[in-house]
Amino acid sequence: MDLLEYQAKELFNQVGIPVLPSQRIDRPTDLKGLRIPFPVVLKSQVYTGARGKVGGVRFVENTIDAIAAAQAIFHLPILGKYPKVLLAEAKYNADREFYLAVTLDNATRRPVLLGSQYGGVDVESHLDQMRQVVVDQTFSPFYARRLALMMGLQGKLISSVSAVIEKMYRLLVERDLDLVEINPLAVNVNEELMALDGKITVNDAALGRQPALTALVAAIPNPTLTYMPNCGVHLVELEGNIGVLCSGAGLTMSTLDLLHKAKGRPANFVDLGGDYRHCCPPNVLQERVKQGLDLITQTKGLKVIMVNMLGGATSCLQTAEAIAAFLKWQPANRTIPPLVVRLVGSEWAAAQSLLAAMEIPVYESMDEAIAQTIGLASTAVKVQPGQSKSSLMLASA
Amino acid sequence: MSFAAESHVLVYGIAEPLGSLYVPKMVAYGTPIVAGVSPGYGGQVVAGIPVFDLVEQAIETVGSIDTVLILVPPYEVLDAALEAMAAEIGQLILIAEGVPPLDMVQILREAEATETLVVGPNSPGVIVPGEVLLGTHPAECYLPGSVGLISRSGTLTYEVALELTRAGIGQSIAVGLGGDRIVGSSFQQWLQILEEDDRTEAIVLIGEIGGESEEMAARYIAEAIDKPVIAYLAGYSLPKGQPMGHVGAVVTAKIAGLGVDVGTIDSKLTAFKQAKIPVADRPSKLPKLVQQALDKVRT
Repeated sequence: MDLLEYQAKELFNQVGIPVLPSQRIDRPTDLKGLRIPFPVVLKSQVYTGARGKVGGVRFVENTIDAIAAAQAIFHLPILGKYPKVLLAEAKYNADREFYLAVTLDNATRRPVLLGSQYGGVDVESHLDQMRQVVVDQTFSPFYARRLALMMGLQGKLISSVSAVIEKMYRLLVERDLDLVEINPLAVNVNEELMALDGKITVNDAALGRQPALTALVAAIPNPTLTYMPNCGVHLVELEGNIGVLCSGAGLTMSTLDLLHKAKGRPANFVDLGGDYRHCCPPNVLQERVKQGLDLITQTKGLKVIMVNMLGGATSCLQTAEAIAAFLKWQPANRTIPPLVVRLVGSEWAAAQSLLAAMEIPVYESMDEAIAQTIGLASTAVKVQPGQSKSSLMLASA
Repeated sequence: MSFAAESHVLVYGIAEPLGSLYVPKMVAYGTPIVAGVSPGYGGQVVAGIPVFDLVEQAIETVGSIDTVLILVPPYEVLDAALEAMAAEIGQLILIAEGVPPLDMVQILREAEATETLVVGPNSPGVIVPGEVLLGTHPAECYLPGSVGLISRSGTLTYEVALELTRAGIGQSIAVGLGGDRIVGSSFQQWLQILEEDDRTEAIVLIGEIGGESEEMAARYIAEAIDKPVIAYLAGYSLPKGQPMGHVGAVVTAKIAGLGVDVGTIDSKLTAFKQAKIPVADRPSKLPKLVQQALDKVRT
C-alpha cells in the first residue's frame, strides 16, 4: 500500500530526513490559518505520479491566490481521482536534484539501495545512470557510502547523502516497508539536502504489527492496499457480464484466462484465498462463500456466475451448502443470475445432488464449467433461483 | 534434497489451528512425522505425535530431523525458522501466507550461510505422491509417477496435477515455491533437484505473471536441464497492475515508475520460446504435451 506524500514526509521527519516546513490542507479555508510564509507550493495528494504535468502542483504568493488555487486542485481529477487533502509547503531553490531509493530485490532477495545524480523528472531518461548496491549481509553505513561513491559524489556530499540513505534504510526495516523513495532529493548551492518529494510503500502483510502506520493511513481510503491482513472478502471489478468466485490466486488467474480465451468477459471476481491464511480457517469458508457471492451479485448486468473451488480442507458438500444457503436467503424481489459450479474434492456426489435440486449444474472439469458459463453469458435471460433453467442449458449444450 | 518416506519430519506449530487440521491428513498419508513443537504444549500428544517446547528438546528425544514443516502464524515464522536452523536442520517448509518480506530476508541470509533449503512461504509445500505429504496439497489430485511439478501457486498446482492424474500420468514430486515476492527456493534450484532425481522423467513448470523468475528459469533450462520441460502460465487476461493474492512483482514494477517492463506474459512467453520449451495454453492441454515428452524420452 502506498502512502500519500504528506504521510511519507511525516515519517521522513520522524527519522531526521530533512523536509520543508509544510501543512496539511483539508479544505481551501484552512489556508487562512497557514503557518508557513509565502511563497508556498500547493500539492495535490493523490496516489499517482505525474500530477505536476496536469496542474496538481501550483505556486502561490498570497492567501487569496492560495484559496483559489486550492479550490481548483480539489476539483482537479488526476487519473480519475480527486484529492482528499493537499499539502502546502515552503518553496525551495534547488541547484541539483538526485534520486534515492531503498527497496527489496526479488532476485537477490535482499534490500537494495538505488541512487542517481539525475533525479526529478530526468530519472527515466537517465536510467543508465542509476547505481545500485545490494545489502547482502547485516546493514552498516558503508553500504550507503558505497552507493554515494558509485553515484559519483565527492567531498562532503558523500557523507551527507549516505546519512540520508542510512536513515531511509532504517525506516524501511523498522516500519516493514517495501519501498522508500526520495525523488527529488534537492541539493542547493551550499550543498544542503532536502527531500522535496517522497514515496513510501508499506508492506501490507506486515501492517498488523505496525500500529502507528495503521493509524496514519486510517484517515484516507487507500485503493493501493493489495492484501487483506484481516482476510476480508475483496471484490475486484472488471468490465463484463460474468461473475467469478474462486479459491486461490493461481486458480483465479487461470479461470479468468480461460473465460477470456473463450470470448467471455468477466464482470468481477472474488479470490477467497488459498489454504494457508491463519486468519480464515476452513470453518469460516462457508461464510466467505456467501460474502463473496453477495459482493459479486451487487454488480449490475451479470448474466452468469461461475464458482470454481479446488482443494482446501472444506468438502464439496460444505461449499454447496454455502451456495444453497446464499440463494435461499435472498429476498423474493432480488434476481440472481444462474450459477455454474465447479468443485473438486470429497463428497462431490452429495454436493451435486444438493445443487441439482436447485437446478444448478455442478462440474468436476474446469473446461466443461467454462463452456457452460460462456453459453449462459451469451444468452439474454436472467433466471430466479428455483426457476427452471433447462431451456438455457439446452441452448448451450 | 531428501523428502523420502524414511526421512524424519518435525511439525513446528503442531498445536496451531493449521497444525491440528493438516497433521492428521499428513499422518494418514504416511508422512514420517516424528515430533511436533508448540511452545507451551510440551508433553502433550497431537494426532499420536509427541509435542515439545523447543526444537532441541525434540531432537534429544526422537533423534535427528531432516525437515521442519512450519505451520505457525506469519509473524512467528522468522523465529521458528531461526530456531530450526540453529538446530542444524537442513530443510524448511514455510506454509503461512503473510510473512513480512523483511523477515524472509533474515531467514534467507541465515539459510544461505548454513546451506538450508527453504520452501515458501505462502506455499502448499511438497508432496511425493503415494509417500510423503508435507503441506496442504489435496491427496486426491495426485497419482504416483514420473512427472515433477514446480509451481508458484497452490490451487493451480492442484489443478495441473488433477489433469495429469485424470489422464493416467502420475507425478514424482510437486512443490509450490510460494506466491510471495521474496521466497526461499527458486525454479532453478528445483529444476536442478528434479534433473538429478532418478524417478523424474519430465518436468512441468507452472508460472504466472509478475516477477522475472520464469524468465530466469527459461534461461537456466536452456543451459543446464536435459530432461523435457513443459510450461503453463497464468494471468494472460489480468489487467496491468492488478493486485492478486500473489503479490509477485506488482511492487517491483511500481518502483519509481522506472518504466521497466518485466514480468509481463509476453516477456515470459518469449523467454520460453527462446528456450524451446512448449507452453500449454490451458491446464487440460498439459497431459498431451507431457505424454509426448515422456514418449520421446522413453524411446
